[in-house]
Amino acid sequence: MVVLRAGLCPGLTEDMIQLLRANGIRTVVDFVSSDLEGVAQKCSLSYKALVAVRRVLLAQFSAFPANGADLYEELKSSTAILPTGSPSLDQLLDSGLYTGEVTELMGAPGSGKTQVCLSMAASVSLGLKQHVLFLDSTGGFTASRLYQMLRAQTEDEEEQASSPGAGPFALQRIQVVRVFNIYELLRALQELRDRLSQQVVSSMGPLKMVLLDSVSAVIYPLLGGRQSEGLALMMQLSRELKTLAREFSLAVVVTNQVTRDNSTGPLKPALGRSWSFVPSTRVLLESKEGTTHRAASLAKSPRQPTGIQVELDIG
Amino acid sequence: MQREVGTLPLAPALRARLAAAGFQTAQELLDTGPCGLSKEVGISREEALEALQVVRQECHGDAARTAGRSGATRKCTALELLEEEQTQGFIITFCSALDNILGGGVQLTKITEICGAPGVGKTQLCMQLAVDVQIPECFGGVAGEAVFIDTEGSFMVDRVVDIAAACVQHCHLIAEAQQEEDLRKALETFSLENILSHIYYFRCRDYTELLAQVYLLPEFLSEHSKVRLVVIDGIAFPFRHDFEDLSLRTRLLNGLAQQLIIIANDHRSAVVLTNQMTTRIGQSQSTLVPALGESWGHAATVRLIFHWDNSQRLATLYKSPSQKESTIAYHITSHGFRDVQPPAVTQSSGGTELNPRKRPRTEEEKQ
Repeated sequence: MVVLRAGLCPGLTEDMIQLLRANGIRTVVDFVSSDLEGVAQKCSLSYKALVAVRRVLLAQFSAFPANGADLYEELKSSTAILPTGSPSLDQLLDSGLYTGEVTELMGAPGSGKTQVCLSMAASVSLGLKQHVLFLDSTGGFTASRLYQMLRAQTEDEEEQASSPGAGPFALQRIQVVRVFNIYELLRALQELRDRLSQQVVSSMGPLKMVLLDSVSAVIYPLLGGRQSEGLALMMQLSRELKTLAREFSLAVVVTNQVTRDNSTGPLKPALGRSWSFVPSTRVLLESKEGTTHRAASLAKSPRQPTGIQVELDIG
Repeated sequence: MQREVGTLPLAPALRARLAAAGFQTAQELLDTGPCGLSKEVGISREEALEALQVVRQECHGDAARTAGRSGATRKCTALELLEEEQTQGFIITFCSALDNILGGGVQLTKITEICGAPGVGKTQLCMQLAVDVQIPECFGGVAGEAVFIDTEGSFMVDRVVDIAAACVQHCHLIAEAQQEEDLRKALETFSLENILSHIYYFRCRDYTELLAQVYLLPEFLSEHSKVRLVVIDGIAFPFRHDFEDLSLRTRLLNGLAQQLIIIANDHRSAVVLTNQMTTRIGQSQSTLVPALGESWGHAATVRLIFHWDNSQRLATLYKSPSQKESTIAYHITSHGFRDVQPPAVTQSSGGTELNPRKRPRTEEEKQ
């Protein structure tokens, strides 16, 4: 619903806008859908000028259709599959995290979501030598644990012996931003978008993955009670994440909590129905008593059948 | 500045009106100016001016940040964080088994939650930590002050006096055994009156007072910059009774958790909360689980559950970002929170005095 404003396109002057507004045409949609001959007569404006303005507005504001073959070619060239650092999790996710999509990890407290995120960051930074952005909203990011995981992964791959300093370089490729409320998070995402679109050559480098741990920690203080703007902000956030993933070919991973309907009901993902449409893949993590093993099951996926389960070791 | 209007921190009613008037990005708002804005949206000029000020702050904040100044945002690489963590101290608990499973003690900049049934020792540990945070750095402590927010009224000053006296005694013994000058000098300021005067005590009677206190805490902490520990004894108590609207309770609790994380992070202090236990009635059996619901479990970074096993007190590390789950036993003596004494007292290789209360870590400090 964009309002007509002077300077929106070359032919649109302030006088034109006043005349149009006097005749009830305020927004772009009104202009484009009205009968231009009638408008030219009523507002005493030139028909050619109006047609030119309409052409420019259509080019600026409409979406262009693409056919399936072009879309397929584009996806083939721009999508990458990132390994998560754990072969069983890769198998669950159909060989890894797909860029251009939002993946969600959910689980009860202590089920290992932060650990899995750390191992994903370690694997992408060490194995693929790509940059990772970690947005931490719970204060649970522990660099020493990440370093431990990097060392463990370096020992697994013997060919890393050529670069003995792989650990510190891998740590430098992971940037951590601490965001503790929704506005800080939105600001950080906006900064990221500005930086990526300007292609500033900085220490950011080629970014491939954005991890957000956790999304429910920033959204929960807004939902509930009698105020309803929380849902609007949640949807703004989801739009930001999805457009970031799609436009810049990033893999976005978010972690979410689980809640119960009442004290005896089954566990279900937090943030409700509206959020459930945002991630394209959802993985539920469950802990087993007394071990470091976790059971990961697929709750939603565009590629694999749901319900398959694998075991992870986060020790 | 292509920041969308929906993402700016303005009042929700104002945001809705701006969206209805057709404004989409922050740049459009800034271009229109206060007069145009008040005319198109139908708000007063003062409101328009205020809104534009907020927008300008956000956008110029963005510009300053992209220019390289990272003062306000908490942005750093993992390598810098690792270096920070390695130099950070821990608040010891005087129970070496508990310190071990926590990875050295209660960590600064993180929220630790202690859950347990009544009488198992949560307040005792809180009082012990309020004393331990003040241990001087040469003895292995963080030399900080403590803020104690009490909602249940279980803070007993006489008990803190006992614990503090035992701690001072312990440090005297170490100083005498090691015979170093700086240890003795540090002990001059580490006295009973000093310890008690550096514990800032607040009493909150209901949840409104608690929320207000936490809201005012950042100001207090910037004046008293040496505070390294914030204890909230009994975070469950004000929230468990008298709440009809449970979704409001979840919202308030989560907002509180986020504020506490910000405090822990910005002022580099440890936040310790104590929680109660409640019964979850399952199909065949009922279990004791921490109170305040599922979503509260995510608020704390580290979660310890204290429970009984016949007459032995046990502590289980239930959730931690860097340590494995494990259970240890502990004891509460007249001197405070301590290890369980092993049946045979083995002679330590250092050959110091046969004081069974002395923690094995003093051997490392001798280096």
